[in-house]
Amino acid sequence: MSLESFLFEALKIIFFPGFVFIFILALFYEWFDRKFYAKLQNRVGPLYAGPLGILQPLADFIKLLSKEDIVPKGVDKVLFTATPLFSLSLSIFATLLLPIFSVKGLLSFEGDLVIAVVLLTFLCIITFFAGVASYNRFSIIGAERSFLQLIGYEIPLMISVISVALNAQSVTISSIVSSQKGLWYILGPNILGFIVFIFAAQAELERIPFDLPEAEQELIAGWNIDYTGRRLAMFRLAKNIELVFLCGLAAALFLGGPLGPVVSGYEPILYTIYFIIKSIFVLAILTIVRALFARLRIDQIVSLSWKYLLPLAIIQFLIVRLMI
Amino acid sequence: MATFDIPIGPQHPALPEPLLLKLEVEGETVVGVDFDVSYMHRGIEKLLETKTYFQGLPLVERICGICNAAHGLCYTLNVEKLYDKEIPPRAQYLRLIVEELSRIHSHLLWLGVAAFEIGFNTMFMYTWRDREYVMDMLEAITGNRVTTEYSQIGGVRRDISPELADKLLKTMNVVEERTKYYIKVALTEPTIAKRTQGVGYLSPEDAKSTCSVGPIIRASGIKFDIRADDPYAAHEEVPFNVITYDSCDVFGRVVVRAQELLECVNMIRYALKNLPSGPFRIKLPMKPNAGEALTRVEAPRGELLHYTLCEGTPKPYRYKVRTPTLANLGALRAMLTSKGRYVVNIGDVPIIYGSIDPCICCTARVQFIDIKKDKTWTWTLDEIRNRSRRMRV
Repeated sequence: MSLESFLFEALKIIFFPGFVFIFILALFYEWFDRKFYAKLQNRVGPLYAGPLGILQPLADFIKLLSKEDIVPKGVDKVLFTATPLFSLSLSIFATLLLPIFSVKGLLSFEGDLVIAVVLLTFLCIITFFAGVASYNRFSIIGAERSFLQLIGYEIPLMISVISVALNAQSVTISSIVSSQKGLWYILGPNILGFIVFIFAAQAELERIPFDLPEAEQELIAGWNIDYTGRRLAMFRLAKNIELVFLCGLAAALFLGGPLGPVVSGYEPILYTIYFIIKSIFVLAILTIVRALFARLRIDQIVSLSWKYLLPLAIIQFLIVRLMI
Repeated sequence: MATFDIPIGPQHPALPEPLLLKLEVEGETVVGVDFDVSYMHRGIEKLLETKTYFQGLPLVERICGICNAAHGLCYTLNVEKLYDKEIPPRAQYLRLIVEELSRIHSHLLWLGVAAFEIGFNTMFMYTWRDREYVMDMLEAITGNRVTTEYSQIGGVRRDISPELADKLLKTMNVVEERTKYYIKVALTEPTIAKRTQGVGYLSPEDAKSTCSVGPIIRASGIKFDIRADDPYAAHEEVPFNVITYDSCDVFGRVVVRAQELLECVNMIRYALKNLPSGPFRIKLPMKPNAGEALTRVEAPRGELLHYTLCEGTPKPYRYKVRTPTLANLGALRAMLTSKGRYVVNIGDVPIIYGSIDPCICCTARVQFIDIKKDKTWTWTLDEIRNRSRRMRV
């Protein structure tokens, strides 16, 4: 590899569509989520930092970084330090798989869809370890709940992703995206799969009605109750990047990813814009779901997933199977 | 299975006020509960003995910010019993109007808090926004949003002008429309139904035996409302229904409170249309007659009880307040420790606790601590009764 192409690749990873771009996107998505949620609730939302409060997530992030770093007595120090780092690095790694500026992601290889789904489960397992590491009554209950929830939503999520893969006859994100040139899969037979994916994503992100692991009124902050300062900042950033990842994955699998009408020569810019518009559409749906419902109870979540989400996902799978 | 304790409170996001709920938990189910409400002793009863009856009113209103109208009303009714004077009917009607307005604001506030306890933040924001209509009207009538001090000994502080009455009637239309919308949401929204139906079960027998009051006992299907049983401010003349519901759970309490909102609106409309003319206040002397008086008022949270013992001086010899939250704590224990079909999950604790509309800071305590011997004990009702008799003789 020549020095020039090496530098080009390095700049791609660091700036666009790598770390810096993902960081900005994550903060922007958090702002959009908060602002839209506030509008739905007849509030103003973030207002002071920057125009329309757009810098508020950044301000929160910096504030958390500058806070005192407390390690309580009795915590498992290794896990307590490692889990925020793992959470952040895994979620950044996951976003590199997203097709943002072309039909291929920055990382693209045969079978990367499998890796993407596995990473989602890993992130949940890290949540569990983070809760157990801070040996607190509330955090242990939160960690336990995040696993119970995983039992509920993971299988429907996998089946809805598998239906898409079956439809495209591939487990590679880039070929799934390029096979949607004619018709997006949401307009194809995968509308049920999209609904299942949205609910599972909501559960994965621990948002209402599935925010059991960190239910404020019950467990104060749940699994992250003992984390302060830098560690909490990392967890929050990881959550936002996961939000970008799930919105982007939904856009790539069901809404044709970055595809759209293009002028030749400007593909990367137009693709990026299409990608952001589509994933923000998914984000808006997630926010509306968050504003519309009350929090469910843990047994209700598991039974809801097995009674409704799983049959829906299986029906979706059968529809796709019969069509091809 | 091993059990472990989870302390909810005294500082907790679900609790607006300091209370310690010591939950004994087996996995996710609650098997035992212990309370501690003694974090906020303010000595109001003692302080009342140092003030004259006329000076005591602002203090009494500060027992509870939300049911301040009920406290003020109960206090004035209680003191007026010592005078043997007829209170003008216009004052009675005006008192009823302000009391029902404060009931509307309290119930709307509770609806929001209950929605917040089950994580339904959108409804919380909406109900609190619409509560502002009522707060504005309270301010227009009494001059203050909370701690209104409207009811005075001998009448009320201000009269309602015809223009203000018109405005109030118009606001009632808005409130009625919004309330109907919330009733629709509460009855049809599936996640609310899932979180409230069959949760916090209180059988009618338990409701009676734990002496619960207010919307709690009415949601267990028992008709118990001081406004109907022991009318105190024009309640004989203003028609209204006592709302009951027989589901005995949190859902029933939501329905009872929501339906009561509509009743309040109708009562205010009737009272405004049939407002008697005449004076709204009479002057009473500083010194009441010697004697004792006991008054019950239906506060938004349930039966509120005030007692005073007067020796013919301008200051009370003893003043005693029993707030509805104290009466409902027994019912709360019964709800949290239900077994079998209605066993309580940790996730249900905030909404069950919220369903009694708790107001810990106004709750009186009966616990004694001997620091020298490091001993705490409580008195039963009978012991208190015996001792009080001895003191009075």
